[in-house]
Amino acid sequence: MDFKEFLDSKEFVLLDGAMGTLIQKSGVKYDSVPETLNITHPELIESFHKAYAEAGSDIVYANTFGANGYKLKESGYSVDEIIKSGVENAKKAVLGTDCLVALDIGPIGQLLEPAGSLSFDSAYEYFKEQIVAGQDADVIVFETMTDLYELKAAVLAAKENSDKPIIATMTFERNGRTFTGVSPAAMAVTLTGLGVDALGVNCSLGPDELEGVVSEISKYTDLPLVIKANAGLPDPNSNEYDILPDKFADCVADLLKYGVKIIGGCCGTTPEYIVEIKKMLADKSYQPQKKSVDTTVCSASTVVEINGPRIIGERINPTGKKLFKQALVDNNIDYILTQALSQVSGGAEILDVNVGHPEIDEKKMMVRVLKAIQSVCDAPLQIDSTKPDVLDSGLRYYNGKPIVNSVNGEEKSLSTVLPLVKKYGASVVGLTLDENGIPKTAEGRFEIAKRIVSRAEKLGIDRRDVYIDCLTLTVSAEQDACRETLKALHRVKTELGCKTCLGVSNISFGLPNRELVNRTFLTMALEEGLDLPIINPNVESMTGAVRAYRVLSGIDKNSVEFINAYNDAAPAVTSAPKNTEVDIFTAVYNGLKSEGAAVTKRLLETTDAMQIVNEMLIPALDKVGDDFEKNKIFLPQLIQSANTAQECFEVIKNHISKTSGSPVSKGKIILATVKGDIHDIGKNIVKVLLDNYGYTVVDLGRDVDPQLVVDTAIEQNIKMIGLSALMTTTLKSMEDTINLIRQTKELQNPDGTSKCVVFVGGAVLTEDYAMKIGADYYCKDAKESVDTAKRVLG
Amino acid sequence: MIKLEKLNRNEAVRYLGGSGIALNYRMDRLMDECEKEIIAKSSPKYLYVERDLPFEELMQGEDIKNHLDGCEKAIVMCATLGAEIDKIIRINQISDMAKAVVLDSFASVAIEQVCAKFDEIIAEKYEGYFQTFRFSPGYGDYPIELQKSVLSMLDAPRKIGLATNENSLLTPTKSVTAVMGLSKTPIDRKKRGCAVCNMRDRCKFRRNGEHCGF
Repeated sequence: MDFKEFLDSKEFVLLDGAMGTLIQKSGVKYDSVPETLNITHPELIESFHKAYAEAGSDIVYANTFGANGYKLKESGYSVDEIIKSGVENAKKAVLGTDCLVALDIGPIGQLLEPAGSLSFDSAYEYFKEQIVAGQDADVIVFETMTDLYELKAAVLAAKENSDKPIIATMTFERNGRTFTGVSPAAMAVTLTGLGVDALGVNCSLGPDELEGVVSEISKYTDLPLVIKANAGLPDPNSNEYDILPDKFADCVADLLKYGVKIIGGCCGTTPEYIVEIKKMLADKSYQPQKKSVDTTVCSASTVVEINGPRIIGERINPTGKKLFKQALVDNNIDYILTQALSQVSGGAEILDVNVGHPEIDEKKMMVRVLKAIQSVCDAPLQIDSTKPDVLDSGLRYYNGKPIVNSVNGEEKSLSTVLPLVKKYGASVVGLTLDENGIPKTAEGRFEIAKRIVSRAEKLGIDRRDVYIDCLTLTVSAEQDACRETLKALHRVKTELGCKTCLGVSNISFGLPNRELVNRTFLTMALEEGLDLPIINPNVESMTGAVRAYRVLSGIDKNSVEFINAYNDAAPAVTSAPKNTEVDIFTAVYNGLKSEGAAVTKRLLETTDAMQIVNEMLIPALDKVGDDFEKNKIFLPQLIQSANTAQECFEVIKNHISKTSGSPVSKGKIILATVKGDIHDIGKNIVKVLLDNYGYTVVDLGRDVDPQLVVDTAIEQNIKMIGLSALMTTTLKSMEDTINLIRQTKELQNPDGTSKCVVFVGGAVLTEDYAMKIGADYYCKDAKESVDTAKRVLG
Repeated sequence: MIKLEKLNRNEAVRYLGGSGIALNYRMDRLMDECEKEIIAKSSPKYLYVERDLPFEELMQGEDIKNHLDGCEKAIVMCATLGAEIDKIIRINQISDMAKAVVLDSFASVAIEQVCAKFDEIIAEKYEGYFQTFRFSPGYGDYPIELQKSVLSMLDAPRKIGLATNENSLLTPTKSVTAVMGLSKTPIDRKKRGCAVCNMRDRCKFRRNGEHCGF
């Protein structure tokens, strides 16, 4: 069956109403989950479907909503049994009618990372199992979803394991967001990109409260919309819902103007509701809506519309950055996250992410970094790699609609990158170069741009999702090239109707006062139609130029954004008390970060770096640690002091790497929160302190597999390992991890003793227990971890 | 709907391990900032069902039976501050660890205050009943694995976005599940005593001769 034809053949498509409500009303009892009724009471379930089909439903949902491997674990039935019988019951009920049967799939019931600990891949596997079992259904429906990431796993599982049409609906709260913070716009943009057949909302609210969400969705998609609302709110005593069938139908009628075509009911609705909706629809016609917002990228919570210059932050990129490369090698994700957060606060609206480095597995790193950034930062991301397999993985695990950086005019690039862009519904940067290099003339680059756009369109990628980069060349080497770049940019913008993108900083290579050249070039390019400048947003003059341009070209209406950006900033700069007279001790003891850095810089002019470390910084930290132990100061104060010391260490590290080249480290330590445990704040506090005492911490994060701890210790030859567990339930994982460390041959001395020193901590641990599970040290708090590190590594 | 308006700062100070430490100006400011942020970013939600006693489900171990002994009804409940709180604590662990620690303390205070308000709601609704304190999976011999059963009984993942992971840890993390007993006759209103607490051997408060206050 061609679903599009099916949709086109009908003015409206009627879904069914609630299954749960009918089950409840019937009074039938079930163990564990209502889906077991498919097997224990097939006639009853069949009769519900029949009632809906007779009421006028064009599609009925099989009773398979919660039939996933997680929820069915204790039911005594397999996913296959429950789903097959569910689909069969529905098929029997609609036999001899035109009514279709949908495989109904709800959320798994566990939260995905980062809010929970279920991985994207595990979610995919749960959905795949359901989809394979439900292949006799005509349509696949995902509903009541609250996490866009989970829904993406579901849609991919459907696309990759079936050719059935897909309807996807999410559940929004009164604040217009889902529980996990997904916005209706981000949902519409992402799902449209992924290629579902219809999308919309179900459950949670009544149709009278859905107008905001539905109208928002309609702005971001051309697809037919779905509404399956609740019958209002349940009365807490009687559990009866407060919107009756005729009122329900009236409320739905008000929403048709947003392009709603597929309509049913959720909790509290019954066949009478479907009858009323059908009556209401009799004299109405479908009003398809064209989306009004084009050219968007998004995360799960934030949509950025490219309707004027938007800043792409360029700093997550190891090229030419020693510290960044080191961070990649050390798996220091926090360093990269700091870069992400500071760029966003600097004014970046999209972040480029490039983690290409010969010494690491770029594909793994890309996925890890994308997930980590998305766990703390709402800005949409641009996945930047020259390797198609890295792009593929990045696209798969990204939550939202990203930009791919990049495709170019080479046949190999066009034929490998563009299909990925299409599959995952992304946007793409098109570089105007090909097998023959970068054309010298604007004409040549324009021709390549045309070629890229036409290839993209052939694959069904909208040209508005292709951002052409006419390439910035170094003006000190080829002075005329700047004009050609700008000319090409202008033509792409006006003749092809594509958005444009440009890495700006290259222009000034080899010249003095690069910032001035960069800023001037940026302003020129903006005037020629540049939409996406890729810049360092923490260079205030660059970000400022973009902001000012938005005001001067009338994009920033009433200068609102401009005023917001600068109104607060001005007084902050002047009022910050800059006590230049403090010494390092005072700065560290009181946690005065910028003062600490400034005074360290001054001291380095006259004092040896190691002398500063050993005679000033460490004693100051020791005093703070001592006061903490004596209950004179709070933990946050200890941390603030440690962070100040960190600033001082950074200054010293930079100084040393300039003068001698090798950074100081007192030794490497692995830290991990054990498998299954997601409470990692304690481990992170320990990390801050160890960092600040000059140790290099390899932080493996939370929910860490024992094998990863062992592998990292072997790979990086690390002798000290810290493990944390916060719950009694995860102490077992701690024990398993220690056992694995002790049993691994590579981590043993020739005499069979262990090479590694293991220290452990966490709220539920005791010294006795720590010793019992084979740890070398028990540390009751972060301070004691530092003392232990001193004892072991010096 | 429960709305938080003010958080108990003394409690937050206690979670930070600092009863008796004077707050200096910067700590004071940080506390203010974090209290506001937790209130602004919390979206407290709760669910409960009432069950007549005795009932079979959720009755594992001796402690829960003792706890509900003499009660006619039980209230099975869960509550959460929502996922946004975990997110801001996560972000601050990158950008400002000191603040993350203070946020974490206030978030713990906040979920406890939500539960206290829940107790009041139940007291009002079940006038004439005496309530026991909230007994949670993980207390005494009451298996923590029952968190999943409580949540699925309440349809919590779907209704308020509260779930457990494979190790029975609640997600979002600032959340609670519990069972409370109701009785028409005055019951020996058990205090949330150290005797049933499985932290009793390693409790920071007990070590200092204090009580956590639950």
